[in-house]
Amino acid sequence: MYLFLSLAAFVSIFPFFWMIVSSTNLSVDVTKGRLLPGTHFLDNLQKLTSSVDIWSAMGNSAKIAISTTILAMLIASLAGYGFEIYRSKAKDVVFSILLLSMMIPFAALMVPLYRMFGKITNFFPTFGIDTPAAVVIPTFTTAFLIFFFRQSTKMFPRELLEAGRMDGLTELGLFFRIYLPTMKTTYAAAAIITFMASWNNYMWPLVILQSPENQTIPLLISNLGSGYAPDYGMIMMAIVISTIPTALVFFLMQKHFVAGMVGSVK
Amino acid sequence: MKNWKKILLPLAASALMLSACSGGGGNTETAASGGSGDAAKKEITIWAWDPNFNIAALNLAKEKYAKDHPDVTINIVENAQADIVQKLNTGLNSGTTKGLPNVVLIEDYRAQNFLQAYPDAFRDMSDKIKAEDFADYKAGPTSFDGKQYGIPFDSGVTGFYIRTDYLEQAGYTLKDVTNIDWDQFIEIGKKIKAATGKDMLTQDPNDLGTLRVMLQSAGSWYLKEDGVTPNIAGNAAFKEALELYKSMFDADIVKLNSDWSQFVAAFNSGDVASVPTGNWITPSVKAEASQSGKWAVVPIPRLKDTPNSVNASNSGGSSWYVMNVDGQDTAADFMADTFGSDAELYQELLSKIGVLGTLKAAAGGEAYEQPDEFFGGQKIYSDFAKWTTEVPKVNFGLHTYAIEDILSAEVQNYLNGSKDVDAVMNDTQAQAEAQLK
Repeated sequence: MYLFLSLAAFVSIFPFFWMIVSSTNLSVDVTKGRLLPGTHFLDNLQKLTSSVDIWSAMGNSAKIAISTTILAMLIASLAGYGFEIYRSKAKDVVFSILLLSMMIPFAALMVPLYRMFGKITNFFPTFGIDTPAAVVIPTFTTAFLIFFFRQSTKMFPRELLEAGRMDGLTELGLFFRIYLPTMKTTYAAAAIITFMASWNNYMWPLVILQSPENQTIPLLISNLGSGYAPDYGMIMMAIVISTIPTALVFFLMQKHFVAGMVGSVK
Repeated sequence: MKNWKKILLPLAASALMLSACSGGGGNTETAASGGSGDAAKKEITIWAWDPNFNIAALNLAKEKYAKDHPDVTINIVENAQADIVQKLNTGLNSGTTKGLPNVVLIEDYRAQNFLQAYPDAFRDMSDKIKAEDFADYKAGPTSFDGKQYGIPFDSGVTGFYIRTDYLEQAGYTLKDVTNIDWDQFIEIGKKIKAATGKDMLTQDPNDLGTLRVMLQSAGSWYLKEDGVTPNIAGNAAFKEALELYKSMFDADIVKLNSDWSQFVAAFNSGDVASVPTGNWITPSVKAEASQSGKWAVVPIPRLKDTPNSVNASNSGGSSWYVMNVDGQDTAADFMADTFGSDAELYQELLSKIGVLGTLKAAAGGEAYEQPDEFFGGQKIYSDFAKWTTEVPKVNFGLHTYAIEDILSAEVQNYLNGSKDVDAVMNDTQAQAEAQLK
């Protein structure tokens, strides 16, 4: 049992270990497979910051990931709550259609979406091609998130809502003052999922963002590895830096995340 | 009671504002590039990959051009090659020219896909440059339908990089490996392994670059001259190349690798005696400074039984393409003035960056005559420039990578002995024909 667990732990920890160790080594040592920490941590950091503007890319990624997460939490949870709490004959049909949309691969949507944003650019350049808003808008709600909130809402005690209504809360008031605080763990889990997906999102930002000032972190890392002679030490340094925010978000919300995934309501 | 509103509404609003307002820098350009045509627009955008190579080359050209054209603004945008392909495909496919650059770098193997699928999207450069000014083999990928679209850029000319110290230990001199054929290559490889214990070369069995090099040395390709019909079954050069590829593995002189970093590591760590590949590997070879003086570059081996095979071939290489979006005339002028004709620029490109161009007028000069101590004082660039002129011209056509996907699976069957060479060739041909209809 413990043998298996340690093996699994090793398999999941090793890439992180390798990443951190490699960020302290020269490119030549990385390709040779050196597994000992080196002394080039600062060199790599210096090379990285002088060759690309990683902080601006971090800023762009943060801006996009945070806006996406806030909007997603608001809209997906309202939708999930609505689907579960309110009665309507059509709701299951609508929900099935919504779930079906999960099955369309993003690659199929990319060209029409791009076309659409091309048109939008003519009228509202702030939401058009090559803007962070264009990255956020098609990605902030997903059928999965709505599904996730609906499933969690199934375990939400409706008596609380009844009690709230008795005390004269409006429907929106019920949602924000009773539902939202009770479902903290679900929000935490959903926020982590959304934040990470947005932070690591590659395909759509790649297509829609053009100018270097708007570049996000995954695009920047992809560029670093594009050379005929890539500097692996420097790339690993960039990856270490880009991992820090997701790691932070995860560790801060870890307790709630685990609780949210198993679906507990306090 | 209502204080949730005080927090939530501003929060939601600020989330939107945050993403919407910050687009300032980029969107003004794209917005301006829409609308009615303005071919002489003075601001152009160029996409390329590799900061140390193509981007550095662009910066040099931009600097030179700016002296005489202070009114032109050139934005150089760095994107990985695969990313450029993805972005171009999406942009061109969606039929909107918004967000597309004025000039884009495209790998020669892929160029025809774009030129044939979207000929109107690219500017015909026949009025600005002449195909004859560049290495002959570059005309294949960069032109279509009698029009010269691309401005040929770097040479992918191959060399046979060899460790002279291992060669000596096995009792050979450089002369014994100069202008040889691949059969001799394998024999020498066996001797070197016996004498030093080192493998002759390193290969990733999923990357068929070596097969491509062998094929082009004989003026042959996966596709026939028309660029569409698969040319596998019954292709004698292809058969010889495949058989050689297998005998290398059978002779046990190949160190396996599975990706680029292992490939580089194999020669940086001194585990292999030679690297037969494109000249773009030079910086990676030189990265291991402790091996200085121990390397030499000789012409790539040729095929023994294919009569027209020569000791020169090509691997990779790219060219510039001007797109039909606003500013195309400015962009065409910039490209023609710099990469299209400026021999002096190519001297600088070589001495400062190590870019080996394909402009014929630039193939001589001081920068090319510099001896390189890492290669024992050999004038490697002068040699590469000479070999560039000897590379046979082939039409890479539309399906180089599509056929290679089929082929790499089939080659595994061949290497492990479950199929013979004719079966592999016939099956690849049949699959390619079915798939590329």
